[in-house]
Amino acid sequence: MFLQQLVTGISVGGIYALLATGYSLIYSLLDFSNWAHGEVAMIGAYVALVVSSSLGGMPFVLASMIGIAGAAIVSYLNERIAYRRIRHNNSPNMFLMIAAMGLSTVYQQAANLIFTGKYRQFDFRLPVSTVQIGNTYLGVLDLASLVITAVILVGLIFLINKTQFGLNVRAIASNPYAAKVLGVKVDRSVASVFLLAGGLAGVAGILYGMKYNIFPTMGNVGLKAFIASVIGGLGSVPGAIVGAIVLGVIETLVSAYVSSSLRDFFSFALLIVLLLVKPSGLFGVDVQDKA
Amino acid sequence: MALLEVKDLTAAYGGIQALKGVSLKVEEGQIVAVLGANGAGKSTLLKCISSVMKPTGGTIEFLGKPVPQKPSDVVASGLVQVPEARQIFAKLTVYENLRVGSGLRKDKEGIQKDLERVYAMFPRLKEREKQYGGLLSGGEQQMLAIGRGIMARPKLMMFDEPSLGLAPVIVNQVFEIVKEINKEGMSIMLIEQNAKKALGICDQAYIMQVGLVAISGAGKDLLADDSVTAAYLGE
Repeated sequence: MFLQQLVTGISVGGIYALLATGYSLIYSLLDFSNWAHGEVAMIGAYVALVVSSSLGGMPFVLASMIGIAGAAIVSYLNERIAYRRIRHNNSPNMFLMIAAMGLSTVYQQAANLIFTGKYRQFDFRLPVSTVQIGNTYLGVLDLASLVITAVILVGLIFLINKTQFGLNVRAIASNPYAAKVLGVKVDRSVASVFLLAGGLAGVAGILYGMKYNIFPTMGNVGLKAFIASVIGGLGSVPGAIVGAIVLGVIETLVSAYVSSSLRDFFSFALLIVLLLVKPSGLFGVDVQDKA
Repeated sequence: MALLEVKDLTAAYGGIQALKGVSLKVEEGQIVAVLGANGAGKSTLLKCISSVMKPTGGTIEFLGKPVPQKPSDVVASGLVQVPEARQIFAKLTVYENLRVGSGLRKDKEGIQKDLERVYAMFPRLKEREKQYGGLLSGGEQQMLAIGRGIMARPKLMMFDEPSLGLAPVIVNQVFEIVKEINKEGMSIMLIEQNAKKALGICDQAYIMQVGLVAISGAGKDLLADDSVTAAYLGE
């Protein structure tokens, strides 16, 4: 029973992680919380839903790919159309956050208008069967979700830590001016990060939609992911992943053994306690410039 | 043909004119010093050459062509700056700092060679390869900033106040390094407040005053001319 809850918790945490890493990456580059990120996940889920239901017979994997691409494009357009202009005007970062909040509301309302508030589900269903290991039963969907997120997140960490693209992104995060004068293509790197974060959000939206439902305010899951990235240390990708899994496991265990209505209470309590005890988060590297 | 030629350059911050028509030349293989007090427009000049700031008038030509509009294209064309106050990537390791410098290059072997060259020049950096840049001392950070510039394999390296905020012993070292890099064939533009030291090592010098070149000449001539040092360098 406990192992079962743990696997479910990690798999929920994995979905949070797909979003939390996006919050962290964008925060590390631009110093603002991209509140439209959850809605990008929602859009990914709806795109996959529309494509898979209107083009009957399309394999679900292909429909998902299109949903992920849609989410990535929306995320990219947010940057190109809204955020980049604000950055180039040298406006305060507060403007970025307000623009993000505006986008979030617009996307939510638009989804409400087009699809109504009705809860929807993909036609595609993974077999509701379970896998038996010893005397515990693990859900196929949870396991599949776990494997998919693990593969993606390992790839992401590799990308950030081992490639020139990742190095450039971290350089911009550390010192944008120096990155610029050393020839890092700042705008291009930022746009790529939005594309990447959007794609990850799309995966999260589709997995979330498979596990629960698809509805216009499902993007609120972004708030959980944001908590996760703060717990992990805003701006740190590994931190966001660990924070997300910790949060997912705690929520699942609280739902199972305490009360599901206290779930969010525990999430926020954890956040507040952590911010009081370790304000930089679990993985917040605080390298002060000595010289 | 001069390596870098700036003609009648003007630039402004809002309504305030920072450069009022600056002209200067850097020939291949030279060390050219640009001197002057705070507010003379030295850093603005550098920002314009790096395309970080748009000039309001005049021309900047590098290798006979106008400098590109984007900072990354400027670096790719062979012009790199070692920025004021070093501007190390505090949260990247020493090695990673250097690899950001070589980010636009594709020649793997050349990058590896230059990395070894930088480590040979600054053994301290090799020792602290895996440490965060922010944990280095001021002098070490200056070495890292110079090494990072070398990694871009520029034709012209522009130093912005490399001696600023460093202990006198380290300042001497920095000037030695600049001379050494130049001897190995790199052309150098050196922006400095430490006029005496800069005049001592440069081929040509320009002394700026409130947005204009007040006087220019060979480094050793200006150094020998007491009226120059008295009038412009406050010594």
